[in-house]
Amino acid sequence: MQTGAMGGAIEATGLSRRFGPRFALAEVTFDVQPGEVVALLGPNGAGKTTTVRLLNGILAADSGTSRVLGLDPAVDGMAIRRRTGVLTENAALDDRLTARENVVFYARIRGIGRSEADRRSVALLDRLGMSHRVDDLVQGFSTGQRKRVALARALVHDPEVLFLDEPTAGLDPEAARDTVELIAGLAAEHGRTFVLCTHDLAEAGRLARRMAVLQEGRLIAFGAPVELASAIWTGLAVDVDFGATASEPALEFLRQSRSVLDAEAIAGGARVRVGSRAVIPALIALLAAHEVPVFGITARPPTLEDVYFAITAGHGGL
Amino acid sequence: MKRDYQAIRAVVAKDWTAVRRAKAVVIPMLVVPVLLLVVLPLVLGLFARGASGPGADNVVSHLPTHFRRILAGVPARQQLLVLIDGYLLAPLFLIVPLMVASVLAADALAGEKERRTLEGLLHLPISDRDLFYAKVTSAFVPAVGVSWIGFVLFCVVADSVGWSVTHRLFLPTRLWAVVIFWVAPAVAALGMGIMVRVSARARSSQEANQLGGAVVLPLIFLAVGQSSGLLLVTLPLALAIGAGIWLLALGLLVRGAQRFTRDRVASTI
Repeated sequence: MQTGAMGGAIEATGLSRRFGPRFALAEVTFDVQPGEVVALLGPNGAGKTTTVRLLNGILAADSGTSRVLGLDPAVDGMAIRRRTGVLTENAALDDRLTARENVVFYARIRGIGRSEADRRSVALLDRLGMSHRVDDLVQGFSTGQRKRVALARALVHDPEVLFLDEPTAGLDPEAARDTVELIAGLAAEHGRTFVLCTHDLAEAGRLARRMAVLQEGRLIAFGAPVELASAIWTGLAVDVDFGATASEPALEFLRQSRSVLDAEAIAGGARVRVGSRAVIPALIALLAAHEVPVFGITARPPTLEDVYFAITAGHGGL
Repeated sequence: MKRDYQAIRAVVAKDWTAVRRAKAVVIPMLVVPVLLLVVLPLVLGLFARGASGPGADNVVSHLPTHFRRILAGVPARQQLLVLIDGYLLAPLFLIVPLMVASVLAADALAGEKERRTLEGLLHLPISDRDLFYAKVTSAFVPAVGVSWIGFVLFCVVADSVGWSVTHRLFLPTRLWAVVIFWVAPAVAALGMGIMVRVSARARSSQEANQLGGAVVLPLIFLAVGQSSGLLLVTLPLALAIGAGIWLLALGLLVRGAQRFTRDRVASTI
């Protein structure tokens, strides 16, 4: 896979775009490594779609630079679009065409011969569980079925980079799981690079190693969730199961321990913040020495959801 | 930049397949030509057959001078038929390429916005210019095709029904040939040129059709003017009108092509 000077499949530096007086994207800098899945998170209007449009050479940047597969979208948009696949937020299928025709249409524009386009379309639709509706008009398809046809269309030319906007929105749990597995497989085994625009934090957490959080066109955080978490919180949260909600004297006892940074009551016990994972055995020993009954202890590293909401709420000053 | 004909063909084929399945688009596109080019000459022919004789002579004698000049030398029994089918219907006929081109161009351009399929198209490796050519082709070719097929039907119907009166094939005439091969394609191109501009602003094909409806009015005025004798389309005038429309249409299309850029289009969706 061809990459940029810094080795990234995607590199954006100070990327900005205005529509009239309003900044749709302002000074955004991030990179995506080959074979990596990066989640682009943010509420509606945060600038996710504009980012994808800029990187795929649909819109021109007002300032800043970007490279996709080593190419400049402002100059080589066509060459980039040959090697990228896009799943837009709405499936963008033509209702008057069949599932097969929708996929073949994109394949033909991408220069694939008629019979090969047909073969690939049917194979992909089959792989995505749409074999029974290949020759049905898309009109009347459910949201999930549309999404699967659109995903087949985005994959038909075996792209090196995929921009996926809400790939599992509207899918039933089984189809959503299959899609997540497909994306994970394409990234891990085939080295495909993904930019995943999503509101589904669980999905982003399963797929993405790093996340970029956009808010009102600005990148307010970029990195691995654990790195971002360490910038927000110190230490590690540990849930201690006492069999009942911890009393105030028990919490005070915990707080006085040198290895405990903070403690709060939760249903069934206490959530204790410790300096690191290494102090957990000492904490257990301390509790045992004072004959405090402990039924379980669970380290709770911050989830992507914790990190996202902390960032968007303005915590941590990132 | 080199044209990507496979991509252009793919877009055109997709548009035609989609339009063929859209009854709301196809039915008006067929009804108007059938009414104008089949039903109207049929009714006129039957009327002319029944009206031939002193009554018809009386009608013709009441027409303005320049019409009587055109009909000089035409046998009295044939005058009404020749006048209507040979002259008066020619400007009215131009509604066909105009309407078909406008409807298809609106569907191909504003319709993509309405169906929210435009963004996907912009993310494909087809150049702005090729996409524009494809969209123009997918409207222009059927518009001219429907006009020409309609004209063949018109000639067959008019000549068949009028045979008992004329005893000759009085259509096509030289004026009709100019209208069909020169003015009709120009009018189709004009309809598209205007729809390209209108579609850039419209959010749906219906809105584009409403905005573009203003295009039809001058043609109707031309037809009404012709019918009432205010404006007489003669061969040189038809050639000149065609040239004028071509110039206007090409100007609009060139300007439309220049303004049809991904950045501009994507900024409106």
